[in-house]
Amino acid sequence: MSNYYVRRTLRVFATIFAVATLTFGLIRLLPGGPFTQLRAQLLRQGVPASEVDARIANLQNINPNAPLWQQYLDYMGAVARGNFGESISLGEPVARIIAEAVPWTVFVVLVSTILMFAVGIFLGSLQAYWEGSRFDKAFSGLSIALMSVPFYVVAVISLYVFSYQWGWLPTAGTVGASVEKELSIPFLLSALEHSILPIFSYTLGGIGGQALAMRGNSIQVLGNDYVRVARLRGLADRRIATRYVARNAILPMYTGFLLLLGFRLSGTVILEQIFSYTGLGYYMFAALKANDYPLMMATFLVITVALIVGVYIADLTYSKIDPRISAGGSDEAY
Amino acid sequence: MTAKQHGTADTTTSMTTDDPIIEITNAAVTYDGGETYVLDHVSTSIERGEILGIVGESGSGKSMFADSMLDAIPDPGRLSGEILYHRDDGTTVDVLELSDDELREFRWEEVAMVFQGAMSSFNPTMKIGGHFKETLKAHDADVTSGMEFARELLSDLYLDPERVLDSYPHELSGGMQQRALIALSLILEPEVLVMDEPTAALDLLMQRSILTLLEDLQDKYDLTMVFITHDLPLVAELADRMAVMYAFQLIEVGNREQLIGNSGHPYTRALLNATPDIEAPLEDMRPIEGQSPAPINVPQGCSFAPRCPLATEECRVEDPAFTQLDSGHAVACHHPEDARDEIALHFERSEESAPVSGGDDS
Repeated sequence: MSNYYVRRTLRVFATIFAVATLTFGLIRLLPGGPFTQLRAQLLRQGVPASEVDARIANLQNINPNAPLWQQYLDYMGAVARGNFGESISLGEPVARIIAEAVPWTVFVVLVSTILMFAVGIFLGSLQAYWEGSRFDKAFSGLSIALMSVPFYVVAVISLYVFSYQWGWLPTAGTVGASVEKELSIPFLLSALEHSILPIFSYTLGGIGGQALAMRGNSIQVLGNDYVRVARLRGLADRRIATRYVARNAILPMYTGFLLLLGFRLSGTVILEQIFSYTGLGYYMFAALKANDYPLMMATFLVITVALIVGVYIADLTYSKIDPRISAGGSDEAY
Repeated sequence: MTAKQHGTADTTTSMTTDDPIIEITNAAVTYDGGETYVLDHVSTSIERGEILGIVGESGSGKSMFADSMLDAIPDPGRLSGEILYHRDDGTTVDVLELSDDELREFRWEEVAMVFQGAMSSFNPTMKIGGHFKETLKAHDADVTSGMEFARELLSDLYLDPERVLDSYPHELSGGMQQRALIALSLILEPEVLVMDEPTAALDLLMQRSILTLLEDLQDKYDLTMVFITHDLPLVAELADRMAVMYAFQLIEVGNREQLIGNSGHPYTRALLNATPDIEAPLEDMRPIEGQSPAPINVPQGCSFAPRCPLATEECRVEDPAFTQLDSGHAVACHHPEDARDEIALHFERSEESAPVSGGDDS
C-alpha cells in the first residue's frame, strides 16, 4: 500500500518534469523566439550590443548562445531552485510577481468553486427530493440555461450593471488603491468588495451543472434498497438525508471537485482580464501580450502544477472517503 | 367506480386462526387511484408463532402483500383495507391507522422485514456495526446491551460478530450480508419477521443453510415468520402453513400437508406438477400454458380461468369466493373436487419421490 503512495508521488514529479520540458520546448517554437524582445528592449535602453547577451544570461539564467541542451539544463536547474528569471516587461523577478498574484487567484478560484459545489449540491438534492415538482422542472431548465451562459458573459454584464451603472462595487483591482497592503480589517473588507463580482460571475454558471449532477446522483441513491430499509428501520429523516443520500451522492463528485479546482485556475485568464484583477491569469495574459517569456513559462507551470496536485490529492484521498475503493491498482481518478 | 368489477367484497376468508397476530382484511394496493390493483383485496390471518409461506410467481403481488404488513408500499402506491396487529398484551392496533411516529416505532420493533437484495440493503459507506447502532438509537434503545444482543444474533447465524460489525458491506460475501441483514432485522426483538425472497440471490447451499438458521432462530426467539418466495419446494420445507398467490389475490390457503398433498385449486396443482424434480421423469413435468395476467387485464370471473383446463362458464363470469375444504384449508375455486379428480399430482404416482422433501414430520 505504501508502495503505491511512493509510486504515485514519484509520478507527480515525473509529470511536473515533463510539463516543464514541454513548456521550454513550446515556447522556443513560438515565432520570434524567447529573447528577441528582450534583446530589442535592452538595445533600446542603450545597453551596448556586446553586453546584451551577458545581461540576458544574467537575467534569465540562460545563455542565449549556448546550445539548446545547455539552455534546457540551465532552465530546468533554475526552475528546480524556484528561480524563474526576471520578467522582461515588468523588470521584476518572476517568482516575486507570481508569489503576489497567486493568493488572489487561489482565493477567487477556491471560494467560487466551493460555493459552486455547495449551492449546486444543496439545490440538486432539493430537486431530487421533490423530483417532478414544479420547482424541480423550473430549476432544471434554469440550470441548463445557466450552464450555457459562459462565465465571461456574466462577468461583463455584472461589471456593467453593478459597477458602472449602479456603482455598488469597484470596477477593477484586488484592493482599493488607498488601502495599505497589510492584514487589517479595511484591507480585508476592500479585498472582499473587489472579489465579489469575480467570484459571483465565476460561480453562477457552474451551479447549474453541479445541481444537475447532484440531482441525478441523489435520485439514483434514493432509489436504492438501503434507503428504503433505512426508512423502515425508523431512522430520522435528517440522518437518511445526510448519512445515506448526501454522502453516497456526493462521493462521485469529489474527484470532479479537485479536478475543477485545477482547471478553473486557467479560466482566470479571461476572468481576471475582465475585472483587471491582478492574479495569475492577469499576468499570464499580460505576459502573452508583451512576449514576456519568463513570466509566461512560470504562469503556465504554476497552473499545470496546480492541476497535477489536484489530481494527486484526489487519488490519495479517495480511498479514505469511499471505503469501497482501496488505494492502488487502477482506481486512480486519471 | 370503474368499469372493471373486482369481485372482492365477499372474499372474507374462512381462514381464521385461533390466536392470530396479524389479521388482514381486504388489503388492496393501487397505483392509479383504483383503476387497477396490484394487491387485490386480500384477506387472511397469521397465527402467532407460525411460519407462513407465501408462494406465487413473479408479479403475482407477493411483495405488495409483504409490504402491506408494515404499511410500506413504495410510493406512490395506495394501500387500503384493514391490517390488525394483536400485541402480546391483548391490545390491538390497525397498522393503517397509526400516526407517522407510531408507525416508525411499530416497524422493526413489532414487525421487521428482510428484503430480497441483501447486497443492496446496507449503506455502502457505513460499517455493518453502524447500521445496528443507528437502528438502536433511532428507537431509543440501550446501545450497549443492544450491541451485546447484536453479537449474540450474529453468533447464532454463525458469523464472527467482531469481524462482521467492523466490516463494510462490500467486504462480506452475499450469504454473510444476508445473515447480517437477518440479524439486523431482529435487533429490536420484533414479534413478526416478514421475509421477501430472502434467499433469491443466494446459491442453493446457502439457501439451505439460511433456512436451517431461520428455523433455529424461530425456535429461540419465538418468532412469527412470513416467508415469501417463488420457490415452492424451498418454503415447503420450512412453513407450517402455506398460501398461494395468483394474479394479486390469494387463491388457496392451508396447512403445508393439505396444500402440498391435497391441494384443491387447479393452479396449485399445476404449480406442483411444474416444479422441477430431479427424480421425476421429464415427461411428468408439466409447464402451465399461458401467462399470468397483468394488473390492467385481470380477467373477469376467476383470474385463472383462461389457463385452467377445468374452467366452465361459471368460472369466466363469477370470481370464486373462498370455500372451506377441510379444517384450515380454504380455496378460491368453483370446482375444487374436479381439480382433485382431474389433475393428478405426478408425485402421487411415483410415491417416494415427492417434489418437496418436506414430508419428514407430518
